[in-house]
Amino acid sequence: MALAILSVVVFILARATGDPLHLILPMSASEEDYAYARRYLGLDRPYVEQYFSFVGKAMTGDFGTSLRARRPVSELIRERLPNSLRLALFAMCVSLSFAFPLGVMAAVKKGTWIDRTAQVIAVLGQSLPTFWVAIVLVEFVAGRLQWLPAGGISGFASYILPGFTLGWFVVAGMMRLLRSGMLEVLDSEYVKLARVKGVVERRVVWLHALKNALIPVVTFAGIYFAILVTTAIVVETVFAWPGLGRLAYEGISSRDFPVIQAVVLTTAAIVAAVNLGVDLLYAVIDPRIRHAR
Amino acid sequence: MRSALPIVTVSLLSVALALVPATAGWAQAKPELSVALSSFSTEVLDPVLGGHVVKYYLSPMFDYLVGTTPEGQPSRDGGMATRWENSADHKRWTFHLRKGVKFHNGDEVTSEDVKFSLQRAMGKRSTTGYAGPLRTLIQDIETPAPDRVVIVTKEPTLIIPTYLSRTLSTEGMVLPKKYIEANGDDAFARKPVGSGPYKFVEQMTGSHIKLAAVDNHWRIGVPRFKTMTFRLVSEETTRIALLRRGEVDVADISRERVTELEKEGYPVHFRREEAILSMYWVLPRDGQPTADKRVREAMNLAVDRAEIAQAIFAGKADPASIPLGLSWSFRDIGFKVSPEMVYPYDPARAKKLLADAGFAGGFSQDLYAFQLPGLPEGKAFAEAVSGYWQKIGIKTKIVPLDYPGFRKLWVDRKVPGAMGYYNIANRDWIGAYALLEKMAYTPSKANDTVADAEIDGMIAQVMRQTDREKINALMRNIFTRLRGEHYGVPVVYLHSPYATSKTLGKWNPGSVMYDLFFDQLAAGK
Amino acid sequence: MRVDPLLGATVLPEAEPRAWARLYGRGLPVIPLGIIGVFVLMAILAPLISPADPEEQSLRSRFRPPVWDAHGSWQHPLGTDRLGRDMLSRIFYGSRVSLAAGVITVLLASAVEAAVGLVAGYYGGRVDAVLMRLTDATMSFPVILLALILAVTVGPSFTNVVVAIAVILWARYARVIRGQVLTLMELDFIAQARIAGAGAWRVISRHLVPNTLNTLVVLVTLQIGYVIIVEASLSFLGAGIPPPTPAWGSMIAEGREFVTSAWWVSLFPGLAILLVVLAFNLLGDWLRDTLDPKLRQL
Repeated sequence: MALAILSVVVFILARATGDPLHLILPMSASEEDYAYARRYLGLDRPYVEQYFSFVGKAMTGDFGTSLRARRPVSELIRERLPNSLRLALFAMCVSLSFAFPLGVMAAVKKGTWIDRTAQVIAVLGQSLPTFWVAIVLVEFVAGRLQWLPAGGISGFASYILPGFTLGWFVVAGMMRLLRSGMLEVLDSEYVKLARVKGVVERRVVWLHALKNALIPVVTFAGIYFAILVTTAIVVETVFAWPGLGRLAYEGISSRDFPVIQAVVLTTAAIVAAVNLGVDLLYAVIDPRIRHAR
Repeated sequence: MRSALPIVTVSLLSVALALVPATAGWAQAKPELSVALSSFSTEVLDPVLGGHVVKYYLSPMFDYLVGTTPEGQPSRDGGMATRWENSADHKRWTFHLRKGVKFHNGDEVTSEDVKFSLQRAMGKRSTTGYAGPLRTLIQDIETPAPDRVVIVTKEPTLIIPTYLSRTLSTEGMVLPKKYIEANGDDAFARKPVGSGPYKFVEQMTGSHIKLAAVDNHWRIGVPRFKTMTFRLVSEETTRIALLRRGEVDVADISRERVTELEKEGYPVHFRREEAILSMYWVLPRDGQPTADKRVREAMNLAVDRAEIAQAIFAGKADPASIPLGLSWSFRDIGFKVSPEMVYPYDPARAKKLLADAGFAGGFSQDLYAFQLPGLPEGKAFAEAVSGYWQKIGIKTKIVPLDYPGFRKLWVDRKVPGAMGYYNIANRDWIGAYALLEKMAYTPSKANDTVADAEIDGMIAQVMRQTDREKINALMRNIFTRLRGEHYGVPVVYLHSPYATSKTLGKWNPGSVMYDLFFDQLAAGK
Repeated sequence: MRVDPLLGATVLPEAEPRAWARLYGRGLPVIPLGIIGVFVLMAILAPLISPADPEEQSLRSRFRPPVWDAHGSWQHPLGTDRLGRDMLSRIFYGSRVSLAAGVITVLLASAVEAAVGLVAGYYGGRVDAVLMRLTDATMSFPVILLALILAVTVGPSFTNVVVAIAVILWARYARVIRGQVLTLMELDFIAQARIAGAGAWRVISRHLVPNTLNTLVVLVTLQIGYVIIVEASLSFLGAGIPPPTPAWGSMIAEGREFVTSAWWVSLFPGLAILLVVLAFNLLGDWLRDTLDPKLRQL
């Protein structure tokens, strides 16, 4: 249902951006050339017909042909989507590896300067424009120090800088969740009981608290994964990473309707899929919880 | 322990010594060429779908009917045609083809392929830059022998060899008839086959295009680089970082960062006067302040070109004085920019001219501001120029729409009187004529920025001329009139910098439109 | 009235008076408030404290370094940018634009998300279903793409940025509000009010709104920083607040090529954004901890 609304919206928006023929045809094109091209590309049919043709084909996974690259859009997406997914996955790992220690430390040492510092470090990631962080990293870490690759996909090392840039943004949210989740559980009766029974302190902290703190983190991670995939466009631009975000940008710049439509629908589908997955996981991890819907 | 030390030292030293010549040798003979570009344009690999800008990565893959020197002069060494001649009435052009050239799939190149390629370039599906004029001119293409092609035109003309050469666009590229007919256009676009020194390996849109060398090619011998990769890297900092890390060998850079890289020892090659940054008004002019010649002159006098060249383009630009003035063509046609033609920076006189024209209180002017490939300074430039006009009373409003958006308004004539600009690629006299026919000729309708009956007449005459002297005279007059009537605000000639790695070797990027001429660099010894 | 923590994150905070009283005794986060105060003052007083016109160009004095550098001068304490405009003045005026963008966008989005959440929660049934479908659809449209599309269609402008972000932002937390409303609706005092004959408007404004206010306050505070950052990213892509208007985001984007040479062009607006967004985020964190610690997913 949501996809249907979206398909109409994006169809209208894409066509509102302008006329791709001005970019495809040379300066000297005559009226006839424009008319022929319109017919050849199917752009002269009435809008309603174009819309239904688009939807009909989209159901079978055919998103039409890119007006700029003259290749099937689904092929372009197939080429670039895995890159975005892999980068997003790597970024999630990066943020989790930062968020866990920060969050746990902050919770265990609540109220102390350690807690405060951890919070500030986490929030720092959300307080800087992503592109600036990316460019500074490229200039200094890749260009001057030459420790890591500057752009493109060329093996594991090339994931590090873009993954870090993308992941850092998300650390704050995760860390907060972990911290508050752990705080809550650390206070609960269950833990107090476990302490009385004499289980070693560290085990208490890690096992029981972490397990319960995990749930909101799982929810959050799911949502953020979707956001990462869809808004990584800035990172993809700086690091010349051929992903979905960059494809969308190219599509909009060249008024390439099929590409714009396809990318928006694909990202919507991803978000929907991730949300669904998270809901299922949520129920599995803790069947006691009935998510208020 | 003690006795081990000398042994360890000796072994380490010998290993180090062994490595030294290896690394030095490796640094010299790197068999791959990697080029980072800020824009790939349409990224299609089918020459008839791309228009000009795509030539960077097409020229290594395909051969042209007529070759060029790096300076843009027609050459018998660089193209399929070893020689060509025209009939006395200039209506039949005969091209003699090289023998024994093969496409990457093994098929032999014959005149049938040339005919097929040309017809395809002129076909309805084609969107190349000069398909239109070829369509109107060419009547027939004959193939009397496998190594001879005759092009028959409807009217006498001189332009055929140049239009089919490497200097302009992709119409002259020779494509494999059998392969395309057997596999279809789409398959060809995905896996192009040509006859050039490099064959297609793979493409990832938005990322890179990879080519591999053939064993031996008539154009360059045994290619020095086994592979040639073009990478699309839109962010400049990243391009430069890639260069520093040695991941790419050539990168186009902005003029601002030239000094920084030169200081570090990276050779920077310039394509001097690669483009003219020329501003123009959207027609129609009737009813606009700019209908008055004095207003147009005032707007020209108010701009401090020297300061803009220094401030916005880091000194890598020279003031320009002729609207649409493609300087590479000036030497061909014998046109000289006299001292009187050079616009001085004279805001006082500009204000006086405005007052004379009745605009003492100024007027409003919309200026569209956008970046373009090769012009990352676009927006800053627009703001700077608007500052000069504000000073003489013209309230300039910056409209930051991207170029495709502006182009639509321009071509549809929705915003009469508004101003835009473009960094028009410099070219030789035939290319200049082709440009004038688009941007200064009223019958071309949409793209005209001039609307002058006298200039229209002169351009129409050039079309029919076959006498070089007469053509040159006409073109000189066209440029003189463009300048005399102030049909635009020419600002600067831009020099485009390309930084290379320290070990790349000698490279002359040449002066051919949208072509970086890697032939010399890739040529084997 | 606290609902069992196991029910998840949509929990009712305590009734109004006690929550605000807690705020008072808690130890206000002085530093974030101070920072925000400084920048708000800066925005208000910009015309009075700026040494120069932020849009005045002077190509001759371009790229002047800050005053402490050998080539700097007190005429331009923080240096000048590529077109010779005074950086300090642009930072001051930029605070107006960036803060205005952040605040206006978030207020708009919050108004919509509150309205949607309240209506969906109150009416339930069909209305709820439709509104939630709409919310889902909106939420999955990438913000940056919408802003880009608008920029390309009608040209980038302040309005476009605000509209593009607000139009998508509201969907993010509308569900949270709705969840709270749903829980509230189950409570006795609401049922009593309805039995007593209170109409929808009365119930919503008198009983529901005050009890969701805490959540809204936290949401508003946390999102202002996000909007300012998104504006910066949009400027980088060419869809932000256009020149010559000084906005911190576009200032950073303009100066990004000169990170090592004219570092001051990007650094100072970058610091400004960092401080302001950090302050809002920390303030939001504190507000959430104090008013409603169960809002974990923010």
